[in-house]
Amino acid sequence: MLAASLLAWTLALAPAALPQAPPAAVEEAITPAEEVDNCMGCHHLPDMELKLESGETLSLQLDGKAYGKSSHKRLGCTDCHQNLKGVEGEHAKKPLRSRRDFAIAYSEGCKKCHFSNYTDTLDGVHHARIVAGKLDGAVCSDCHGAHDVTPAAEPRSRISRTCGRCHKQISETYAKSVHGQALAENENEDVPTCTDCHRSHDIANPHSGSWRVKTPELCGGCHANEKLMAKYKLSPAVLQTYLADFHGTTVRMQQGERGANPVVALCIDCHGVHDISKVTGPGSRVLKANLLVTCQKCHPNAKADFPASWLSHYEPSFRKAPLVYGIKLAYQFFIPFMIGGLGLQLLLHLWRLAVNR
Amino acid sequence: MIALTEVVKSSTLPLAPAKAADLTRFSVGQRVEHFTSMVLFTVLVITGMPQKWPASAISAGVVHALGGIAASRIVHRTCGVLFSIALVSHLAVAIFQVFTRRVKLFSIVPDRKDFTDAVITLRYYLGLTKEQAKFDRFDFRQKFEYWGMLMGSLLMLVSGFVLFFPTWVSWLLPGQLIPAAKMLHSSEGLLATLVIIVWHLYNAHFNPDVFPFDPSIFTGKISRERMEAEHPLELRRIERDTGANQDPTGPRVS
Repeated sequence: MLAASLLAWTLALAPAALPQAPPAAVEEAITPAEEVDNCMGCHHLPDMELKLESGETLSLQLDGKAYGKSSHKRLGCTDCHQNLKGVEGEHAKKPLRSRRDFAIAYSEGCKKCHFSNYTDTLDGVHHARIVAGKLDGAVCSDCHGAHDVTPAAEPRSRISRTCGRCHKQISETYAKSVHGQALAENENEDVPTCTDCHRSHDIANPHSGSWRVKTPELCGGCHANEKLMAKYKLSPAVLQTYLADFHGTTVRMQQGERGANPVVALCIDCHGVHDISKVTGPGSRVLKANLLVTCQKCHPNAKADFPASWLSHYEPSFRKAPLVYGIKLAYQFFIPFMIGGLGLQLLLHLWRLAVNR
Repeated sequence: MIALTEVVKSSTLPLAPAKAADLTRFSVGQRVEHFTSMVLFTVLVITGMPQKWPASAISAGVVHALGGIAASRIVHRTCGVLFSIALVSHLAVAIFQVFTRRVKLFSIVPDRKDFTDAVITLRYYLGLTKEQAKFDRFDFRQKFEYWGMLMGSLLMLVSGFVLFFPTWVSWLLPGQLIPAAKMLHSSEGLLATLVIIVWHLYNAHFNPDVFPFDPSIFTGKISRERMEAEHPLELRRIERDTGANQDPTGPRVS
């Protein structure tokens, strides 16, 4: 049992950078399972609760069955509650003001094993919110749970439900989107859920310029993937055609700029963010009939034929944009012809000079 | 304008000191025009090419050095407007001069002789004849470059205007003109840049006849020997007409 627990320990620690050397395998008097049994001796009682300074009560009753099914079932209580190592019987209470303080303080304990995820959260918006004094910023246990922790992405649709506990409106919008519907239908592995775009621990501010400037690559990560797009009969040329146009060129040129916040249209400005629908759907912003209104968000003077200036992610072709295609073709012929001709004349002139000499 | 010419004159370019026998080939106005278009063209290429190849590292470096894409576009559009003004004034002056008979239009308009000159020159290059074409004020290559530049500039002006004001343009005209203008502006810009690099730089710098530098468009002067070799027909005409009614923009004995 001890060996098994040590193995679980090592596995849990393996991918993370260690903040400190793992504690030497001291000959513990009891196994983790025995420890859990000991603690549950009191903590299964429904009247175990703590009166907090804030006036709230914190239940100290634990669901042993849920713990037994959790990812941490092989750990002992003091692996997380380290201050209680070696304590038996009634023990000192942590002097915490509120339930929220409790959650925040105990989430600090997760870094012992999950160090890289912990450091990622320090770069995230949730942590920034807590630092700014807004204590509702999510900490580990808010998303993962505490004693009942199980893999967060199993099933995949669980992710958006987890985020939706705080981000209710966005979660509901997402559920109705083309991505959200596909996820709900069959736990679709291909569609993005919250964390695919926003990441899970180092969540950046999606309103920042540095985030906006990267959206073409973010969406392009899937939408430029030929294999994936073929599966859904979508064009994989959407990124490339976007980048080739004025908006995309501007964004691409801004990617190297410090503090750039693109003012040109990004994928999300026309297609939406959480409410992305099928482009052919009746409510689609990018449907030909609705496109003018979408253009007018940035081009208030746009009228009648302005949307036709955008080739709808099509490469210019004889059928799609004959004028653009014609000009392209003409120059593809004309430039080599002209430069070749001039270069040839230049070489002939040099050759003549050489021969004359 | 005059100050600009003075700058050109006093610069440290390897200019041969004007000799008594030198002829005046270009007026002050023409020299200023060349200098202005040279500077504007260069800036337009530097600020325009990165937008054609946004993924290249050179583009990123250039745009960064200019203070970002927004700043480069301001520079590009300002130079574009100035270049357009220069083009329109060139055309206005040229049309005025032709109507008031101050210049002979036909000195720059291609004619049958240019075609035969081109054939003779080609045959001469290939060693099929010892005969060399004798040119008047502008040879066929110069006419070709002038009209190429004029037409190219007009295309750039029109397409640049469409790209500058896309919403207004689409009030009246089909929206597809906007991507068409972009394709045209980008392609014609590339063509013009390549012609300048391959052809103009050869003729003005790397051609062994003038290497390292043909200064006449900056000084306005050309030697009698070069006139004899490059524009003999014009030289004959000048010598015949000396003292008679002269073309003020055309060459005269200084």
